[in-house]
Amino acid sequence: MTRKILIVEDDAGTAAYLAKGLGQAGFSVETAVNGRDGLFLASEGVVDLIIADRMLPGLDGLAMIGAIRAAGIRTPVLMLSALATVDDRIDGLKAGADDYLCKPFSFAELFARIEALLRRVDLAVAKNQVTKLSVGDLEIDLLARTVTREGRSIPLGAREFNLLEYLARHAGQVVTRTMMLEKIWNYHFDPGSNVVDVHIGRLRRKIEDGFRAPILHTVRGAGYRLSADG
Amino acid sequence: MVPDTDSLPTVKRPFRLTVTARIALLAIGLALVSNLVLVAFVWQQIRDDSVDALRRDTIEQSDALVSVWRSGGEPALSRAIAEARAPGDFSLILAIVDGSGQRRVGVGPQDITLVGAPEPTAFRIGKIGGDRPWSEREAGYSVRRIGANFLVSGRLLDDWEQEQRGIEQAMVAATLLSLALGLLVGLIVTRYVGHRLNEVADVIEGVAAGDLTRRVRGVPGGQDAFDRLASRLNAMLDKLERLMTELRVVTDGFAHDLRSPLARLRSKAEAAVLQSDPEAREAAMGGLLVETDLVMRMLTTLIEISRAESLSRDRFTSVDPKALVEEIAELYAPVVEDAGMTFTTAIEATSGRVILHRELMTQAITNLIDNALRHAGAGRSVTLRLSRDDRELRFQVEDRGTGIAEADRALALRRFGRLDGARTTPGAGLGMALVEAVARLHGGHLALDDNAPGLIAAIVVPAD
Repeated sequence: MTRKILIVEDDAGTAAYLAKGLGQAGFSVETAVNGRDGLFLASEGVVDLIIADRMLPGLDGLAMIGAIRAAGIRTPVLMLSALATVDDRIDGLKAGADDYLCKPFSFAELFARIEALLRRVDLAVAKNQVTKLSVGDLEIDLLARTVTREGRSIPLGAREFNLLEYLARHAGQVVTRTMMLEKIWNYHFDPGSNVVDVHIGRLRRKIEDGFRAPILHTVRGAGYRLSADG
Repeated sequence: MVPDTDSLPTVKRPFRLTVTARIALLAIGLALVSNLVLVAFVWQQIRDDSVDALRRDTIEQSDALVSVWRSGGEPALSRAIAEARAPGDFSLILAIVDGSGQRRVGVGPQDITLVGAPEPTAFRIGKIGGDRPWSEREAGYSVRRIGANFLVSGRLLDDWEQEQRGIEQAMVAATLLSLALGLLVGLIVTRYVGHRLNEVADVIEGVAAGDLTRRVRGVPGGQDAFDRLASRLNAMLDKLERLMTELRVVTDGFAHDLRSPLARLRSKAEAAVLQSDPEAREAAMGGLLVETDLVMRMLTTLIEISRAESLSRDRFTSVDPKALVEEIAELYAPVVEDAGMTFTTAIEATSGRVILHRELMTQAITNLIDNALRHAGAGRSVTLRLSRDDRELRFQVEDRGTGIAEADRALALRRFGRLDGARTTPGAGLGMALVEAVARLHGGHLALDDNAPGLIAAIVVPAD
């Protein structure tokens, strides 16, 4: 099934760049150049994801999202903005956006976030209250908060467990460093040093050392992917 | 030259007087009024005096002549009148007049106007007759009844008119003097005021031309308007100079900091273009992204700094500082340990939430830790300490590196003011600037101390 993405962006260059990239990635794309059109298309309810610029002519991006949410439409919204400070991000999320990405962004980051948002919707639709996650031979018990691989128990710290759970929930998908910072640590700024890499490195040693195959892969230029097949 | 405040180019306006002219006019007006009032007073006084003297003389004379008439009748009076006139005295009036006002004997107009005649008048001032020279001037005279006729005696107001002419001349002189004096005072005042204002204007002009070290001379602590103007202006210029210096440091530092990643970006882009092997080319492209991200991060931090300096407090939330520090410790302990250092968390404050901007404060503290990582050197330790007393809450990062010499600490606090020795490490200048901006946002400051050896960097905020 082809996923449909609505791009609400007044800058023609950015809109074309996004449409081309997303089209190549296999999404069907629709574009609107202002908030009013965006709201109209979104309310038809046939799109799976909305990518909206924050500053739009006519109806502003934040206001448009507010209107969409007020109309009871739960379509996930990824907000794009040139405004990059911590407060700008938080404002965007408060307005009802599900995620926030600053311009300029890498396509790797954008895809990772789109995948994550779509996955979340699927899980919500499936409505299955998962208590166990498994990726290959890695088993995560969400209730007991225990992890086993090849039947061997792996002791993890609380934060490490959260990190692994997040990766497992997005198994097979790329998860970027900023996504982890936002979701695991709830920090919306860029620490600048390799904090996430260090934590991933520790987690990786625990779940890979002494086992046959690697399971936590580095995706160069993007982030990490938890997957049984390389 | 008379200083002219309107010599500066201004918008076209309807005609208006220069300040110099206004002050001169005011001075002239004041001098004129004071002189004229004085002259008028003198004039009135002299007039009153001369009229009094005339009245006295006239009444005395008429009394004497009436008594001559009583003793010798009209012939004796006529003789006395003839004798009374001194040769060359043309102002004297002395005559016997009949009931209809016709002169019978003596000097005076042929036809004398007897106001209220035949009622005798003690003394009055007015025109005495219709024919020259009596009609030209007023006279002071008295009319006395002698039998059926009247005795008129008095004088034309000759003396008094002369006095008046003198007074008029005095008035002209006073007016001229007032004009001269007013102009002089106007000149002196405008010269003085203009001189002091021009000093200020010169300083402003100098500053506008780029010399920010110029200051207005003034009496320190002086209370008059000029001293206040000077001291206020100087204070403003001090602030302006500080801001300009800061701005220059920022611009220089930013340009400097931006140059190196951009230069690397450029050389890597060039290398990528020249790379023929597709795989190597892709790797080179990846390097481009890393450098671009670095530049983006610098720009974001810069925006964050300028935002932090003007953020409203509605972004603040109630935060448990202990939890805040523990979260940071949890995030950074592995990073510090991987860098080959030991990481210690010391939480000395026990209770109490504080109102602060969680993200910005966290970012500031992590910047301090990053800085410690960069400068402390391997094999050393980094301590994150939270302490609190009655007034202050301190988020403190201690390292065991080389520290910062006391003389250099002020420089280290300045935005982008990275110490020259550290210039080779990328991107540190902005970090400390952000820390300081965040501390200021919370009503506190960034304090640097000696850890003997090493550096103690503390974000000190008031404990609400």
